[in-house]
Amino acid sequence: MTTFVGHVLNGLSFGALLFLLGSGLTLTFGLMRTINLAHGAFYALGGYIALDVGRRVGGYWLGLVVAVVAVALLGVVVEKYVLHRLLHRELPQIMATVGIAYIIGDLILWTWGGRPQSLPRPPGLEGILRIGGLVFPWYRLALIGLAVAVWFALQRTLGTTLTGARIRAAVDDEAIARSVGINVPIVFATTFAAGSGLAAFAGVWGGAFTGLSPGSEWDILLLALVVVVVGGLGSISGALVAALLVGLLDEFGKWLFPSFALFTLYAPVAVLLALRPQGLFGRSERVA
Amino acid sequence: MTAARLPVSTTLVVVAVLATMPFVVSSSWLLVVQRMVILALFGVAFNVVFGAADMPSLGHAALFGVGGYAAGLGLTRWGWGMPTVLAMALLAGAVLGLVFGVATLRTQGIYLLLLTLALAQAVWGLVFQQVRLTGGDNGISGLDRAGMSWFGAGTASFYWSVLVVVTLGIALLYWFHVSAAGTVLEAVGMAPSRVQALGYSVGSWRVGAFVLSGAVSSVAGVLFALSNRFVGPENLAWQLSAEVMLFAILGGARWFAGPIIGAVVVVGAEGVLTSRTDRWTLVLGLLYVVTMLFMPDGVLGVVDRWRRTRGQPA
Repeated sequence: MTTFVGHVLNGLSFGALLFLLGSGLTLTFGLMRTINLAHGAFYALGGYIALDVGRRVGGYWLGLVVAVVAVALLGVVVEKYVLHRLLHRELPQIMATVGIAYIIGDLILWTWGGRPQSLPRPPGLEGILRIGGLVFPWYRLALIGLAVAVWFALQRTLGTTLTGARIRAAVDDEAIARSVGINVPIVFATTFAAGSGLAAFAGVWGGAFTGLSPGSEWDILLLALVVVVVGGLGSISGALVAALLVGLLDEFGKWLFPSFALFTLYAPVAVLLALRPQGLFGRSERVA
Repeated sequence: MTAARLPVSTTLVVVAVLATMPFVVSSSWLLVVQRMVILALFGVAFNVVFGAADMPSLGHAALFGVGGYAAGLGLTRWGWGMPTVLAMALLAGAVLGLVFGVATLRTQGIYLLLLTLALAQAVWGLVFQQVRLTGGDNGISGLDRAGMSWFGAGTASFYWSVLVVVTLGIALLYWFHVSAAGTVLEAVGMAPSRVQALGYSVGSWRVGAFVLSGAVSSVAGVLFALSNRFVGPENLAWQLSAEVMLFAILGGARWFAGPIIGAVVVVGAEGVLTSRTDRWTLVLGLLYVVTMLFMPDGVLGVVDRWRRTRGQPA
């Protein structure tokens, strides 16, 4: 029983990490129709920057802040100089961001070398929770709480605040939004900065979970894509449900069918997409 | 694409020049040319689905890699001869293409892209984790290519055999491309609802495109595995799917010869750069970005525009 609960908690905490990453991806897609395949590279870059700052200057939280700000700025640059020029053309955006991911990945390899690295856990969360036979790191529990908090904040911001209304207006009808005085380029840049910053944030937390190594940006990107696609492109709540499902599927797949774990992850996703291309919570009008 | 009839004489000259390569270039460059030739076949096969039928598949590496594994398993484990390997690769590629085609019937555009990616990742996951059969991450090495060296011993013999297979494959796809069936397929890509209204079954044509593309991609995968004497999970990794799409777009996906030009440019750049620098990945990334920003219609698109502005028939 405790093994089972342990696996559930493991799955949920990995799902929480995937949500942190996937929420940024679905945010930029849902609002700007942009699939940013450099998102995994932003994740890895965030982790490496935090690691570097932590080692050179010291201080976990300083590293976290520097990483998030730096990657958010990079996201703005990528949006302005690459993605905005390819607005409403999804395939070129996908291919261009694959290229950006290659560039960032190679620069990471150049700067920090190819040795796998591991980030420290956040201060105060290094301990381990023990209840009966169950042993579980506090850090992983905190990750689950964090995911729910981020979900709530995004949901509130987009759904009920003026900022959210501005963003939705800017996306739905750019011309009208401009004519009522919304600064659309700023709105887009801010949204993209938020999405990229979330990726870096996930990278700093996830670096303690999965470790950082060259190529990890692709592995994590594919999982984040699965989350976003299963949840329905652009749906924040869908991403949360899907992330927890994928986290559990991944954990139980590895536990119960170790030699089929990747297959048991991707095959159901493919079946779901074949039958319901818009995902669990997506709007169907976008499919065709 | 109608104006893109490849002049027969040009093709013959290109094939003749390629045939002299073993006498002209060093053995390391011969390997680069060999890669170009094989990946050009993969690119042209991919473009049946992408350029003609307008389905942006990001799962073609699976169709390519399945041929590689047919060669690897058949030659090293199951004692197949080369004809059996080729026949089974064609079959496996066609069957997997059928699966891709049927699964993607309800999708278009970005959703088709993501679905083909998921399908290919499922195949990749199976291959990666069925270690006892496939060797997992270590792959299968020691592929004997004697059965594919039809011009005596030596590396040149294998190269010429590859050239023969690739020329036949591309000729077959070109014949399809200019046939009535090729025209219907292009119409399916451009205006599916009109084609449907004319009484064609759009779904069958889309599935058919995947089957044809899968079968030929798989043969390209056999050649690639034989060329490396090795097959591993990277032969069906999704980065390869992105790369073949880059070939098509960089060369010009609207033209039959587009993916060939794209393969020559990318593989050629790789050949030049990997011997000089460790930063090939960086340059590859830049190639992606620059192509999408400045040459969305590819090299042939630039040539076409240049011809038009000079007032010559394109």
